[in-house]
Order: sequence, then structure tokens, then C-alpha cells
Amino acid sequence: MSGVEKMTTPARRQLDADRLLTLVCVGLPLLGLVLFFLYPMVIVFLRSLTVDDGYGLANYTRVLGSTGFWRATEHSLIMGAATTVLSVFLGFIIAHGLYRCAFRGKWLIRGVIVLPLLAPSLVQALGLIFLLGRNGVISRALGVEIEIYGFWGLLIANTLYALPQAVMIIGAALVLLDARVYEAAEVMGASPSRQFRDLTLPAARFGILNAAFVCFTITITDFGNAAVIGGDYSVLATEIYSQVVGQRNFNMGAVVGIMLLLPTVVSYAIERQAMKRQQVGQMAGQVPYRSSFAPVRDPVMASLSLLVCAGIVAVIGIVVYASFVTLWPYNMTLSFKHYDITLAGGYSSLWMTIVISLMAASGGTLAVFLLCLGLRRLPRSAAQPIQMLAAMPAAVPGMVLGLAYILTFNSTATPLYLLYGTAALIAIINFYHYHTQGFLTVMTGFRQLPRALEEAADSLGAGMARTAVDIIAPFIAPMLVSVFFFLFMRSMVTLSAVVFLTTPDLSVAAVTIMRLDDAGLTSQAAAFSTCVMAVVSVALLSMKGTLELMGRRNRIKRPV
Amino acid sequence: MYLTVRNATKTFGSFKALDNVSIEIDRREFVCLLGPSGCGKTTLLRLIAGLTELNSGEILLEGTALSNLPARKRGFGIVFQSYSLFPNMTVAENIGYGQKIRGTPRSEISRRVTELLELVKLPQVAGKFPGQLSGGQQQRIALARAIAVDPRVLLLDEPLSALDAKVRAELRDEIRHVQRSLGIPTLMVTHDQEEALALADKIICMNHGVVVQAGTPEDLYHRPATRFVADFMGISNLVSADPIRREFPDLMAKWPGGAGAEHVACIRPEQIGLTPAQDGNATVRSISFLGNLRRLEVDSAIGPLVVETHGYNSCHEGERVNLSIPPEACTWVADDLAHQPAETAA
Repeated sequence: MSGVEKMTTPARRQLDADRLLTLVCVGLPLLGLVLFFLYPMVIVFLRSLTVDDGYGLANYTRVLGSTGFWRATEHSLIMGAATTVLSVFLGFIIAHGLYRCAFRGKWLIRGVIVLPLLAPSLVQALGLIFLLGRNGVISRALGVEIEIYGFWGLLIANTLYALPQAVMIIGAALVLLDARVYEAAEVMGASPSRQFRDLTLPAARFGILNAAFVCFTITITDFGNAAVIGGDYSVLATEIYSQVVGQRNFNMGAVVGIMLLLPTVVSYAIERQAMKRQQVGQMAGQVPYRSSFAPVRDPVMASLSLLVCAGIVAVIGIVVYASFVTLWPYNMTLSFKHYDITLAGGYSSLWMTIVISLMAASGGTLAVFLLCLGLRRLPRSAAQPIQMLAAMPAAVPGMVLGLAYILTFNSTATPLYLLYGTAALIAIINFYHYHTQGFLTVMTGFRQLPRALEEAADSLGAGMARTAVDIIAPFIAPMLVSVFFFLFMRSMVTLSAVVFLTTPDLSVAAVTIMRLDDAGLTSQAAAFSTCVMAVVSVALLSMKGTLELMGRRNRIKRPV
Repeated sequence: MYLTVRNATKTFGSFKALDNVSIEIDRREFVCLLGPSGCGKTTLLRLIAGLTELNSGEILLEGTALSNLPARKRGFGIVFQSYSLFPNMTVAENIGYGQKIRGTPRSEISRRVTELLELVKLPQVAGKFPGQLSGGQQQRIALARAIAVDPRVLLLDEPLSALDAKVRAELRDEIRHVQRSLGIPTLMVTHDQEEALALADKIICMNHGVVVQAGTPEDLYHRPATRFVADFMGISNLVSADPIRREFPDLMAKWPGGAGAEHVACIRPEQIGLTPAQDGNATVRSISFLGNLRRLEVDSAIGPLVVETHGYNSCHEGERVNLSIPPEACTWVADDLAHQPAETAA
């Protein structure tokens, strides 16, 4: 059949309940996007132009004229580039090892590589301080003074943080390569190195590009690592923080925010293009590649991968270990002393974060599901701009979104002020911060849903609500579970978006860790981090368990 | 007429999928929409189902316009090419789904499910999931699901295309049997002329968004209206008037006249008589053995021809043969492809 014939136009004249439902499905999440994403972004833009006597570019000239800003920009760009090169390089080695080589213990690498995602970004920095700081295990063992605060410390921390993303994205590209292509090359006499150069690299090209932009964005927008281990090495994210929190200069913060937005928007736009190009290569009936052992390649790849993993384990592990040490580094006996958090509030922010994360996860999953459900029934011309809007939040750094929220919701000008200082607002910002990833995941699920299923249900007399509950939801349930846990885990650890929104009465876990560290209570910060990691690990295991159960049930239903 | 489509037109952007199409389906009738990919047959079926909207024209069921009725209120049954069983429901739940929506009591649903599973000859699979069934079994269940609600019209969208040849033939007979015994007016879309010949009471042959010819399978095979239909309904020898007039003048009796280029003679390969003869009027170029028949390509005075013979025959390649064409074997058809680029008929 030609593609043209299969195209569907939704029945325009269904003026009944279904049409109303479509409007509600699209309307509510759209209202949310406008109110909690578009509107705050407009506000932050306007505030960047606000001067004493109305609007003007005075803030920009002031910022662009200051050496501090240019130094931070230069640092951000250098740091972004260096981290990108390093994490994409290491990420490619690990992904290539996982998907293209044959050696034992891949499960270990797979497990270790996700560790940095379980913790707030500043945990990498904490770990490095425990390892390489003045009182670090390695510095003391070697008897040398390493200056870990600054460029090198930040580079390592950022690389560890970006690495999981690089491995996942490049791995996704490598796993797509069809075994038959390699068999054909083999028969034609291409050597393994030729196959790598002529087949693997070109096919992974867009994956690598995509990974590079994601790593770059993550790095220049990250706040946690920079705040803890950056030292004097100021970057744009810390610059915004010092403008807003240090100098209470919101308009200047807004300007820096807009400047930080520029590279991330460009980077995100290119990344989306790269992703589109990569998806073209997918085809049905693919024969998965099975790697066979290569005597030189595989031991080398395995040892490199394991080395990187050892680094990750060391950095995260030392934080857990240090949290139990009585008095680092003088009294190394173990105790639970640091789990008695002395900072005001104690563990209340941990419980609060769990509540907030549950809110963000359940509300967010429902919202993206409804949005995708409604979009499917809208004509293309109406659906496309909404899809674009829904995919936009990923381009906005957490710091900028957080700043936008405080400018929008801490103003008594609108009734939205009622939300300020509530847990709900933090749940909302967490959801919109990660809206794009959730939305795109569910969209992918919807794309895999055969039209014939909905049409069959339609012909049998099922309305939209019924089809959604009986047919669509069970079909994309694994995607919804993934999105739920993704939103939960990100909300548990995110720092940059919420750092401006916490109040003395309402804090979240990542901010508490930062405060503890600021107050010099590094061991308590480690203890608190360990608790967060425990919660997130439980969530991750629950997700894996749920998906595995669903997969097993589906295997019964559709044995391949 | 039971179901009538009148002057249906449908465009996708600048592409005209259907251009002023009118068709009719009678009570108990099995109608096949036949044509190559992109001819608009699926679009027409989807319009009737209510899954796509008309640009202009109307669809009437027993004289009542359907245009404003959404698919779910039309009460039609539909079977798609594949993958339309709900993967999260068992076979029984799939079949009973339409009735469940209509609020039928559970005992009645399970009685109906059992009855339908018997009808499609799969009584044992009620508790299985679609993924545990073969493609052919899945299509049987899809058929059972479609007829569970006593549909007013049964729509089949290439239901056999994704299946193996043997399963396809079996299921073809099954569909025929079910449709005959229940008497449901049925419209099936297919690009396989053999399928259409075997199943249909009436074939509607389409090309480029218009109906080229509608009639019984015999009509379309033996009395094609145009060169396209002749070509699409199996192998045919299409020869222009001049060589026929020269070599086989008795075939000119039914020639409709004209300057000569408007019509071509359509001669089916099995209707040409062939006897070995030293002084024959043709030479055998190649022979394909197809089991029940032999297909020979011969060079004759009117050009290369395909001839099919049943049973044993001793011809071999390069041999001289005598061809005989009885006058009733020749149909003159309008040459609708003369001014168009050649179609690739799969």
C-alpha cells in the first residue's frame, strides 16, 4: 500500500464526547505547558530587559562589559568542550565494548555505568574530594598535595556525570547495526578494522554527534558539581547563582540565564536533527549483531571499560564509605554518627523530596499520556506546533527555568503567587524540567502502536476513552512505567532547577546536601547523599522489576 | 441496493486518491475491490468504514446517509491485513470485546465466543493470547471478532496478504464459507486477482482512483473492458488490429472499428490451440513446466504469444507448431494504457 492511502484524517464531524475528550486531553497539558513553561520563560526574558526606567539593553551591556561574565563564559565553553570530548571518547569505548565486543562481565559494566544517575550531580564532586582532596585517601597515601578544586576536579566530576548519557546514546546507535551488513562485508573480504572504519563508525556518526551535544548541554548547565568542586573556576551556572542568591540581582541573573540559554538551544536543535537522521536508518526485521571474541580487541576494550567503571565505583563508593567513617581522615572507625543530621530540618527534606517526586512522577506521567493521546487525534497542522512546544523544555537549563519560576511565582501580580513556596510548585518545575524526555518516550510508544488496533476498536464500537483504557494504556504501559520512574528519579536528585525555589521551611534533598557541604559538614553531606542514593536505587530496581515482570507477561503473550 | 457509494472523491494534499467513484453492494453479496497499489481501493474501504472522511459524495446504507456517523456507530466489522488483535487481551476477550462494549451479558458473550471459535475452526484457543497464534490463526480470530457483533457490512482490508501461500488458500475458503453461511454483505480489498476471482460475486477493478470495470469474475476475465483490466486479470496476449487482420481475419468479426489504435485483441493463453507441425505458423521459444500446465512462449506472425496447455505435450524448444485461435477466444478491449507509461503489474 502506498503511504498516502494509509494516511488518516481524524473524523472532523465527531462532535460528540470524543471530540470534547480530545480537547480536554490536549487542552489541560497544553495549559500546563503555557503556564509553567512558556509564560515563565517570557517573564525571564522580559526581566533581562527590565531596567529602572522601563525596558532596555542596559543589563546586557553591563553583563557583556564585565570581565567576570566573559571569564565564566570562557570557562563554561572550555569545560563543556573538554567534558564532551572526554565523555564521548570514553562513552564510545564502553558502548563499543558492550554492544560490539565479546567478553564476560558486561552486566557489571551496565550496572556501574548508571550509578552517577542515581545521585545528585554534586556527589561526584564530593567523592573526588574524599579521594583526591587535601584529606583524600589517594592524596594521603601518595603524600602529595593535589589541587582538586578547579578545572581538573570539575572536568572529572562532569565527565563521570555525562558518561552514562554518552554510553546510552552511542550504545543505542551501535545496537541498531544489522548483522547481515557485517556478514556481507566479511564475505567481500573486509578486515575487522575496515569494517569498523567503513560500517561501524559511519553508522554511529549521528549517535556520536547526538551524544556530544547532550554531554555538552549537561555540562554547561550543571550546577551541583561546579558549586562543590569548581573552586575559583567560575562557570555560567555558578555565575547565575551568585548574581541571584549572592547579590540579589535578579535582572542580571536573567541576562546571564539568557546567555546560557543560547548555546543550549543551539546544541539542542542540532541534537534533535541528529536524532532524526539516525532514526531513518531503523528498519523492521533486523538481525541483531552477535559479536565473537577477538583476541586483541576484546581484552583491551574490556580492561578500558572496567578501568572507567572502577573509577565510577571509587568515586561513588567513597562517598558511601566516608558517610560511615567517624572522623575523616583521623578516626577511620565506622559509625552511624553522621546519619544524625544536625542541620535544621534533619531528614524532613528527604521525606519532602520523596513526596514531591511522587507528585511529579504521577502527575507528569498522566499529563504526557493525555497529551500524546489527544495529539494522535488532532490534525497534523495542529499537532505539530504543540509537539514542538512539548519538546522545548529540554533546551532550557535547570538554572534558567528555576530563575524563571522565582521571577514568575514570587510576584504578587498574579494569583499564581499562591503556588510560591509550596511543594506542588517544586513538583511542577521538576516535571517541566524533564518534560521533553517523558513526552518523547511516550510518543515513541504511541508510534509503535499499530493504527489497526485503534481502528479495530473504533469499528467494534469503542469510544476514545474506552480505547485509551482498554487498548492503548496496556500497550504502552512499559513506556508509562519508564516515564514514571524517570521523573521520580530525576526529581529526587535534581538541584539546578530547584535551588532557587527552596525556602527555609521547604527544602529538597539535593539542596540540603549542598547546604551541609557549604557548612563544612562534608561527612553529613555524604550520609545524606547515601540516603538519597538508596531511595533512588530502590526506585531503579522497582522500575527494572516492573518492566521485567511486564516483559515476562508479554513474552507469554507474544513469543518471538 | 444495500450499500451505495455515490460520486466519492477523496484527496490527500494534491494527490487524488479517489475521483468520483460510485459502487454498489447488494444484500448477501461478496464484492472485491481489485487493483494495484495506490489505486485507491483501501481509501475507499476506509471511507466506508468511517475511518477516513469524504471530500465529496455520499455513502448510503439502505438509503440512509452514513457520512456523519463515526466508525464506532456504523456497526461494521473490519479485518485488517495484520496486527489488529489486541495483544493484551486473550482470544476470547478479543472476540467478545464488541459485545462487551454493547453491554451484552457475560454468559451470552461466552456462548457467542464459543460458537464463533467453532465457526472459524479454532475451538481450543480461547484462553491464548494473539502472540501465541500463527498468522493464519490470528486472521481467523480477527474474522471472528469482526462478525461477533453481527455487522451490517463486513470489510476486509487485504486480510490474506501477510500469509503464506498455503494458509492463504485455506483461509480464502474459510472466508468464503463464513460469508456464504451468514450472508453478510462483504467488501474485500485485494491486489491479488486470483483471490478476487475465487471469492467474489462481483469484482470492482480500480486504477488511478477510478473504477475501470465492475462485473462478475467471468465478465472481468473473459470480457475485460480495457487493456488494463485484461492485463490485471491474469496473463493475456494483447495484439493490435493490423497483424490480426492479416493473419487471423476471422477474429475481426467483433472488431468495434475505428482507426485501429483504440482497441487491441485480448486472447487468453489457455484458449489458443497448439499442435506440432513442420509447416506450422509459429516457433516455440521457451517452455516453463508449471505442474498442472505448461506455459510456452512462441514466436508467431502476430508477434510473441504466451500459450498454456494442459496435460502431456511433446513440444520442445525450437520446434515448429501450428496455432489456432477460435473466434470466441478473442475479445477486443479499449487500449487505455496506450497513452500512459506502462504499469508495473506485480
